[in-house]
Amino acid sequence: MLVLTRKSGESIVIGNDVVVTVLEVRSDQVRIGIAAPRSVQVHREEVYRQVERENAAAVASAERARALLKRGGPKPGPRPLPPPQARRSTAEGPPDDTKPPAAS
Amino acid sequence: VRTLSEQDALMTDGTDLSSSVEEVITFADGIPGFPGCHRFALVDLAEDSAFQLLQSLDDPAVSMVVSVPWLFFPEYAPEIDDTDQRDLEIESPEDAAVFCPVTLDAEEETVYVNLLGPFIVNVRSRRGRQVVLADPDLPVRAAVPLAL
Repeated sequence: MLVLTRKSGESIVIGNDVVVTVLEVRSDQVRIGIAAPRSVQVHREEVYRQVERENAAAVASAERARALLKRGGPKPGPRPLPPPQARRSTAEGPPDDTKPPAAS
Repeated sequence: VRTLSEQDALMTDGTDLSSSVEEVITFADGIPGFPGCHRFALVDLAEDSAFQLLQSLDDPAVSMVVSVPWLFFPEYAPEIDDTDQRDLEIESPEDAAVFCPVTLDAEEETVYVNLLGPFIVNVRSRRGRQVVLADPDLPVRAAVPLAL
C-alpha cells in the first residue's frame, strides 16, 4: 500500500481524474472530499462490503429461496419498518459527514 | 420492468440466455461482489408471487431472489442520490423500478430483504444499478416472517 502524509487542505490525485482532499483532521476523525467522474462510485468501505456480503448470501441461498417461495412464501401486506435501534446494525460515519462532491 | 415466465427461464436456463431474452437489464458496473455480471433477466417465480429471480445472463450460476420492497415495507422511501439519478436518467419516480435482494437464512425460517442496497432500474432504458443508500438506519436484513 502506498502511504502518503498530507495536511488538512492538501490533496492527492489518483489517475487522471480522481482528486482526494483532506478537508479536516480532528482527534481520530478525518473528513475527506472526493472529486471523481460519475463513472467512479464512491462508498464507505464497510457499508459497501456489507452489501457485497448480502449479495453473496442471496446468491448462495437463491436455490432454496426459490423453491420455498415458489410454494407460498410470505403474504404481502403492510409491515412497518423495524425500529431504528434494531435497524442500526452497522458502524457508520459521523452524522455530519457530507456526501462527496461528484466532479462533472 | 417486464418479467419473464418461469417457462421462458427453463427454456433458456444455463446456456447463452441473451439471444432469447428480450428484456435484458444492464448493470454497467456489475453488482457488488459480482463485478463481471452486467446483464440480467427478471424471472417470475410463480404467478402472483411477490418474488422474482434476478438471473445473470453472463454467469448462469449467479442468480438471486428479489422482491419489490413496498409489498412488505410500505413506508420504505429510498433516497436515490443525484449521481445515481443522473447516471440512470431517472427524472421521476415512475422512471424507476425498485427491487431488493432476498436472503433465506440457514434454518429456512426467515426471509430477509436487503433495504440498504436496492436495485434501481430505469424502466425505459432497462439500465440499472445496485445502489448503496446513505441512510445508516436501513438494514441489509429486514425480516419478512414466512406464512407458509
